[in-house]
Amino acid sequence: MRDPAHVLLVDDEQAILDGLAPFLERSGLRVSTAGDGAQALTAHAAQPADILVCDVLMPRLDGRSLVRRLRADGDWTPVVLLTQVGESYERSAALEEGADDYLNKPFDPQELLARVRAVLRRAVPGQPSLAAASTLVSGDLQVDRAARRVLLAGVPVALTPRASLLLDYLMTHPGELLTRERLLSALWGFESMVTTRAVDHRIAEIRRALGDDPAAPRFVETVPHAGYRFCGPVTRGVPTSGPRT
Amino acid sequence: MSPAPTRRWWAAALAVTLVGLVAGAGVALSGRALLVVTTTRLPVALAVGGLALGAAVLGVGALRARRAAALAVALAGAEDAGRADERARHRRFLARLDHELKNPVTAIRAAAAGLPPGDDPAAVRAHATLDAQAGRLAHLVADLRKLAELETQPIEQEDVDVAQVVRDAVDDVCAQAAAGGRPAPAVRITLPTVPWPLPHVRGDVDLLYLAVVNLVGNAVKFSPPGTPVEVRGSDEDGAVVVEVADSGPGIPDDEVGVVFDELARGRDARGTPGSGLGLALVRVVAERHGGRATLRSRVGHGTVVRLLLPAGAAR
Repeated sequence: MRDPAHVLLVDDEQAILDGLAPFLERSGLRVSTAGDGAQALTAHAAQPADILVCDVLMPRLDGRSLVRRLRADGDWTPVVLLTQVGESYERSAALEEGADDYLNKPFDPQELLARVRAVLRRAVPGQPSLAAASTLVSGDLQVDRAARRVLLAGVPVALTPRASLLLDYLMTHPGELLTRERLLSALWGFESMVTTRAVDHRIAEIRRALGDDPAAPRFVETVPHAGYRFCGPVTRGVPTSGPRT
Repeated sequence: MSPAPTRRWWAAALAVTLVGLVAGAGVALSGRALLVVTTTRLPVALAVGGLALGAAVLGVGALRARRAAALAVALAGAEDAGRADERARHRRFLARLDHELKNPVTAIRAAAAGLPPGDDPAAVRAHATLDAQAGRLAHLVADLRKLAELETQPIEQEDVDVAQVVRDAVDDVCAQAAAGGRPAPAVRITLPTVPWPLPHVRGDVDLLYLAVVNLVGNAVKFSPPGTPVEVRGSDEDGAVVVEVADSGPGIPDDEVGVVFDELARGRDARGTPGSGLGLALVRVVAERHGGRATLRSRVGHGTVVRLLLPAGAAR
């Protein structure tokens, strides 16, 4: 039997560590904790974790600086940052800092567990994750994330900013079932006051723009009664020159 | 406000008066007995005098009107600045509230998840309550934060077919009722087709949908089963209007002024589930599209909320 994955929980709120650690342990993970980024670096150096779950605002060394420090040292241990990603500033910051996933406080602990497992499944030891890639490729679809440009067979595809954000999110979570509620929360920031039609609208836009047939999808697959999944293989790509959309 | 023109007027009047006084004093001091004798006919003298007096009165009136207008503009500007300042303070408060609530709520949820519920039925129930209420609080914190962000963050600028948004919103509210095993709501949609259909607006289709779905959802929620809800689209003076009317219990006069505030829940609405954020969202969405939301209500008769959006334009 494989050893349980080792999670390093980093938060300056002791009450959060006290609650989350036993929950994650009961869920079959090995957990250690740290109260800030600096402590986390020391703990990770002494006993490398398989994944870090890290708050953003912390004394001494904050979560973003911690990720940058790790990446600068060539350490690609997956990191889930406990903040929201979605706004344009944070998206570009997210690309630069190279975290693997984001979860906004206050979150459902079950959701955190699901993210941790999904990130661990996707992670290739020693390799940067897709979330840190500047270009994503799936077949003849290429997404140049820094330039916000989508090309299909080399031809620019026009997408609304939100559809482009959604495509980005789907492609950085390939093969993962993403519920409408999760997409709504991750990309729109709303939790409870809406139906999820907004997600379906943007998926329809992506399919139209990419010529993707829902009955035989190459890119976005509908999971009945659950949500959506990016079904094409996704790899890191090299940006090519071309007109901006 | 610029007081410069008024000051110039008074300076000119003072200068003319001074010249007259100096000239009069000069003549008086010279010791000569000089007289002005006029031989104007009385009707002409009366007419000229009347004209001069009338001009003086008109001049003073115009001056006072200009001052009053300038004062009104200054007051309106100050009120606008005051409102903007109040909104900014309100946003800062929500940001602080979010910051202070998110960690304790996360800790409560984590503690509930980390605690095995055990076998005691009372403990299981208590655990479920803790979990559900912490979840509810978490959603509220997230939605309050989102609402505060919506007031300032850039919104998308697309061509939006409001008629389609209305149809989608009504479909979804009816589908939700069906999914929840509730009777199908009697929602009537009236959208113009002649002489032209409802104009499109520019803006964020998701936000506009959210606004309309909240209005229709509220109307259905507060209407007795079987009573009609009407959703009416129209255009007037370059604006698209969507009205959602219900025959619910209505809102007392003293509550109408605050229904668009965050967490506003009427006395009569306390027994009905809801976050108290729906109408605040409608107001913010309307304002971000350069429009407004208004509400009229009569207790015992019902409520109509009006969403007014500039046609073809957004900010």
